[in-house]
Amino acid sequence: MNPGMIKNIYYIISKELLIERRDASVFLSSLLYLIAISFVVFKIFSSLEGPVKMGLFWVIFLFTCIKIVGGVFSYQSRKRKLNIYQLYDPVDLFLAKFAFSYLKLIIAGLVLILLQMLFSGSALVNAFLFGKTFLLCALGLSLILSLVSAIASYSDRQTGLVAILSLPLVIPILLLGMRLSLISEGFFQDPDSSQYLLILSGIDLLLLSLSIIFIPLIWKS
Amino acid sequence: MAILLMLYVLVAGFLIPLKPGIIEVFNSDARVAEPFTTEVRTYNTRLGQADDIRAWLWLPGDRLIMSKSVSVINDTYLKAEFDTLGNGIDVQSRNGLMASLMIDNSLEGHYFFRNAINIKSAEMAYMRPQVFYGLDEIKTRKQLAFPFQHILYETSRNTYFHVAIWMAMFALLILSCYYSIRYLISKKFEFDIKASSVTTAAIVFGIAGLLTGSMWAKYTWGAFWTNDIKLNMTAIALLVYLAYWILRSSVSDPDTRARLSSVFNLFAFAMLMVLVMVIPRLTDSLHPGNGGNPAFSSYDMDNTMRMVFYPAIVAYFLIGLWMAQLRSRLELISRD
Repeated sequence: MNPGMIKNIYYIISKELLIERRDASVFLSSLLYLIAISFVVFKIFSSLEGPVKMGLFWVIFLFTCIKIVGGVFSYQSRKRKLNIYQLYDPVDLFLAKFAFSYLKLIIAGLVLILLQMLFSGSALVNAFLFGKTFLLCALGLSLILSLVSAIASYSDRQTGLVAILSLPLVIPILLLGMRLSLISEGFFQDPDSSQYLLILSGIDLLLLSLSIIFIPLIWKS
Repeated sequence: MAILLMLYVLVAGFLIPLKPGIIEVFNSDARVAEPFTTEVRTYNTRLGQADDIRAWLWLPGDRLIMSKSVSVINDTYLKAEFDTLGNGIDVQSRNGLMASLMIDNSLEGHYFFRNAINIKSAEMAYMRPQVFYGLDEIKTRKQLAFPFQHILYETSRNTYFHVAIWMAMFALLILSCYYSIRYLISKKFEFDIKASSVTTAAIVFGIAGLLTGSMWAKYTWGAFWTNDIKLNMTAIALLVYLAYWILRSSVSDPDTRARLSSVFNLFAFAMLMVLVMVIPRLTDSLHPGNGGNPAFSSYDMDNTMRMVFYPAIVAYFLIGLWMAQLRSRLELISRD
């Protein structure tokens, strides 16, 4: 935690934004992936009911996230990595990349929600709860995937490793997200969502603190 | 030494018999001012050989009602008759008063079935006063035997295997975290090797724990795997550690591998704590110890079982350490 961290993070994010605007094809291809999958899935399952619909939503969202965030740390070649590390504190870099991926994930998620509403209508009873759930889950997913992608960027085969390493770690987040979204659809009789939201935010905080502790240890060369 | 402990655990675990107990009480509705008869099936008893068998109704407040007569049908089946239940039994609620049925004799001591009989109240002009006995009337007998648990019966021996394996696994994982932290601080290579071999041993124990758990589940719950949160969470935790293995195998540079796997080990351990300890306690669960079920409290595991249980944990931990040591020595030799 160095002074001027917020300024650093802001600066890195703005650089990332610049890079994206110059060549947005990576993100747009992930969005296209999302749209294509949703088409296929929602055409196959023409009549979707509660748990199936929500389950499909989360599964598609998860795989799109893996695709988006998995490549975050890899596109830099070794030389650029050296350059960047000398300039920035690794924690700042990580947090900036994580925050930027979070924004990308939110956009992707909104696209998915819109698509789902287009295909099978919306059965949301409590949209506010669903919004909170979605934001918290996306935060957790983005954290885990950024951390794993940072770890995997040192290994030989990166993309497969990101999926393998991250899937067990995201399961509790997905379980909680699934339960909360079913509550927000009015599926359960007795909605006591505050407990699950608390657990979800607890997991997110834990992940955030763990990432901040571990990133400097990973970043070496 | 670990082998000796294991042998002791195995022998004691399997050979010590269970205490006698009551499996079924066939008639469980009693009413005040009426005589009460019931038939009882017991377990691991030698009723044919005992002379002075008495049956008791054990009411709250430690008051006992003695039976009028007990007729033994065979070694594990008896019929107990109680005289007219009289005045003095305070049946407060409409649903009746729950009483436990206890049987004692001088050969075996005493055993009981908790809340076996439901005594309902009745209105009667005259009821003779009920004679109560105190608990000191009951014969006891010290024997080396395990407590009798309903539904579990003999499978409670699995405690030595299943629960002990999980506890040893936890201890091994804490040890591996210690080694990972030491590696990250000192960057000495041997700590990384030790950390990885201890984690490997822990993974093996985790798989063994899951297998023993499913066997136990088949006999008590009826299925190998239920949709229970603790089971799912432990499976996920095991998946996380398997991912640790894959991570180790996919990085070729040894320094990077050591660094990354130490960090991932600590990360996985933190997630494990959350998954296995925190989440199951918050939701309903069939597994003992979570979701409202009592864990192994002093009712379930008295000192006879503890005598075998604690050495079992130590034995498994030592075996795990032994496996880890062998493996780490192999690694150290093969890299020189």
